[in-house]
Amino acid sequence: MQSKLSDIELIQDTLNGDQSAYAALVKRHQRLVFTLAMRFVKNREDAEEVAQDCFVKAYRSLSSFQQQSKFSTWLYTIVYTTAMTLLRKKRVDTSSIDDESTYMQIENKTYGMDEHSAEGRSRSFYLNKAIDELMPDDATVITLFYKGEQSLEEISKVMGIEPNTVKVKLFRARQRLKQNLERSLGNEVNELI
Amino acid sequence: MSTIEEKLWDYIDGNCTPQEAEAIKMLIETDEVYHKKYNELQVLNSTIDGMEEDEPSMAFTYNVMECIRAEEARVPLKARVDSRIIWGISLFFILTIAVLLVYALSSIKLSAPGKLTDYTKVPVSQLNGLFTGPIGKGFLFFDMVMGLFVMDKVLRRRGMSKG
Repeated sequence: MQSKLSDIELIQDTLNGDQSAYAALVKRHQRLVFTLAMRFVKNREDAEEVAQDCFVKAYRSLSSFQQQSKFSTWLYTIVYTTAMTLLRKKRVDTSSIDDESTYMQIENKTYGMDEHSAEGRSRSFYLNKAIDELMPDDATVITLFYKGEQSLEEISKVMGIEPNTVKVKLFRARQRLKQNLERSLGNEVNELI
Repeated sequence: MSTIEEKLWDYIDGNCTPQEAEAIKMLIETDEVYHKKYNELQVLNSTIDGMEEDEPSMAFTYNVMECIRAEEARVPLKARVDSRIIWGISLFFILTIAVLLVYALSSIKLSAPGKLTDYTKVPVSQLNGLFTGPIGKGFLFFDMVMGLFVMDKVLRRRGMSKG
């Protein structure tokens, strides 16, 4: 029943004291929130903690949600801010966040399967691996654009940057993603995609 | 000047004006370079679009709701008092003080000719009745409660920062 309600209706119900309505909101958005968190922290335990923290923060601030944007845009802003704060807290200095090579070196850390097995060679496996090798900002732009159904303007709100900058970042991220795929697969890249 | 790739991504993403879109469409149909690049980008686009989201653990929603419930249970009753009520009470006393001040100041006759104002004759004695009566006592009582409330808040914050 609640799964058919819109985000705004679920928010209203939550504000009226119905906690199950918020549980439905969490269920609806948890996959993308978790995926976004994974773009930053790169391991499941930490990502789950970040995602959980974001939903609790969102619950606390729900009454301040002005409904001038989509709930998802507002929620992803919380995720982005929380994840960035966590990165800073962990004293990963900002230069290393921008350092492409740092993220390109992360390989096979989140993948337990054999690359050469049939499962390991799937399109999804290589694509996720290539995304993981991107910088967090690039991976976030790609994820929000393709899976979060966010426009360039909405992504700019989430990340606190200009829509034109988002457009440039998206363009660059796609190029890097393709390069990552080519690096992993060599000539097989065309076969895969 | 944007590159072929930028133009084609704008076309694929639908960020072009209708005129630009028409022009790019023509180029894709007639120009071999555009045609090849467009196909390449389309394939990459659909590949990225097909990426899978990560799935949190089965108990994720339950954990979030448990965390919220636990947090709500920890909130003391004092913290549940609507802050607007506190602000309303504060506003009442600020207004009362302001009215009394204006009343007292307006009672002073500053225009007495030829000599300085004799402050001993300022009719503030009329106010004495207010402060000795039940209103005054009530006023002082609420002031004391507010003072204790603020002191409690300050001490709690100090305790939390030390802890």
